[in-house]
Amino acid sequence: MAEIRNRYDALVIGGGIAGIQAALDLGDQGFDVLLVDRSPSIGGVMVGLNKVFPTLDCSSCICTPRMAEAAHHERIQLQTYTDVRSVTKQGADFEVDLVLKPRYLDEDTCIGCNECELACPVHVPHEFDYGLGSRRAIYIPHGNAIPQKAVLVPEECVFCGKCEKVCPTHCIDFTQEARRATTTVGTVIIATGLQITPMDKKPEYGGTRFPNVMSPLAMERVQSSNGPYGRVLRPADGKIPRSIAYVQCAGSRDRSIGVPYCSRVCCMYALKQALLLRHYIHGVDVTLYHMDIRAFGKGYEQFYRRVMAEGVKVIKGKVAKITEVDNYDLVLRVELLDEDGRVVERRHDLVVLSQGLMPAWHPKGTIDTAEAEDGFLLTPQAKLNPSFTTMDGVFVAGVAAGPKDIPDAIVEAGEAAMAAANYLYQARQLARIQVPALAH
Amino acid sequence: MTEEAKPSAEKKDKPKRPIEVLRDRQGGMSKELKEFFNEQQRIFKAIKTALKAGPKTVPQLAAECNLDPPKTMWHVMALRRDGDVVEAAEQDGYLQYCLKGAER
Repeated sequence: MAEIRNRYDALVIGGGIAGIQAALDLGDQGFDVLLVDRSPSIGGVMVGLNKVFPTLDCSSCICTPRMAEAAHHERIQLQTYTDVRSVTKQGADFEVDLVLKPRYLDEDTCIGCNECELACPVHVPHEFDYGLGSRRAIYIPHGNAIPQKAVLVPEECVFCGKCEKVCPTHCIDFTQEARRATTTVGTVIIATGLQITPMDKKPEYGGTRFPNVMSPLAMERVQSSNGPYGRVLRPADGKIPRSIAYVQCAGSRDRSIGVPYCSRVCCMYALKQALLLRHYIHGVDVTLYHMDIRAFGKGYEQFYRRVMAEGVKVIKGKVAKITEVDNYDLVLRVELLDEDGRVVERRHDLVVLSQGLMPAWHPKGTIDTAEAEDGFLLTPQAKLNPSFTTMDGVFVAGVAAGPKDIPDAIVEAGEAAMAAANYLYQARQLARIQVPALAH
Repeated sequence: MTEEAKPSAEKKDKPKRPIEVLRDRQGGMSKELKEFFNEQQRIFKAIKTALKAGPKTVPQLAAECNLDPPKTMWHVMALRRDGDVVEAAEQDGYLQYCLKGAER
């Protein structure tokens, strides 16, 4: 594994699609980039999605080439499983303090063969599958992980030593410890991505109480060909669902849960998932209960009409409450907004809450750039310089600045990279024209 | 040096194996992890034993192993991921699972 150098031109915090794109755009211009991610693999949320809207491209098929390009780029150094402890402005530059978390193996000799994972006797819920699937205490994050290296979680280890015994390259190193490293960078791009609104934010929806009330990202994994079940099944009992409901605006446009804004993508991802369910399960009934459908982007309105034409029911109704009944089925109490507001109860096998987007990371305590009231990074020149933060030389890309879809995240990443490059050029220009001191 | 003291001295000088270094640093296996691991092994064994008699759905396995269905589902899927359990036929809207090799 390459050591952290004394200096880089740019630090990109976050290895999701926005961070990867920003790093590539800077690297292609000849700048040296340090791309840092706190997870053991880059790829962010996108690498775990099934298909993207509205094209229904395989998400990992379009994401992994960019991931591989970043990993092999001569100007980009990938630093996964690393936390950014602090970023402090020093003149025009930034001093960065990093914590390199231990994988408990030598990354240079690990060949990603997976033998250690197969030998480990401990099964734990897999974060990549949002708890629905399993992994071992030592594991490779997923088949598309970059780097394709294992990581051991010592809190889950039973200290049997089996992984060490089976490793063909003897790369397991139980004595590894976290390391601190510092470096100086010329500019910073924050691309720390998203998390969805926590499933327990609205207790009346039973998000963490009822096993058949799912998060949309868990449904992405269930629909994926490399998902936890191999096909679409109910988490409670493995039943093939015959009637599925989507509850829109479940974690957005709601002051009571502290998420008053629209998360922009929920209508589209719900329509996409609903359409794919109609393809995956013959004759399944899928109903979207919405307040309004927001299909804002290129081809989105056409996609919405296609989804309805292919049999997905789109009903203007606000879900007030979800109750679990016999056999782990769910009853939704719905106010039908298009029918004089009458209240009905509808029974479904499975419910997906279309949760909103929130920032995955907050800068407080790490970097002195301000947050907006909604928790995303404040962009004081939002109209003309949307990647500028409140700190000179620090830029933002992707959902870290606010909810957006993948195309907008990539466009913004390009803008942030250009702004960062301009900042670097200006800093270098200023350094070159320093007036020499007069000798007396 | 006495014969009794010699083994202690040898033990004192013997360097710790790396796994022991990690275990000491972690303070050993936590009580919760120990209970979790033992319970997990018990459930895997119960499911595999139940499947020896033939393919079963998740609710059938849950009933036979005296577990709640969501927990059974997670463990069956873990066994499926390991290749120990495979899908068999469909029964009344549920998939049956069987031990690998028994599906023919």
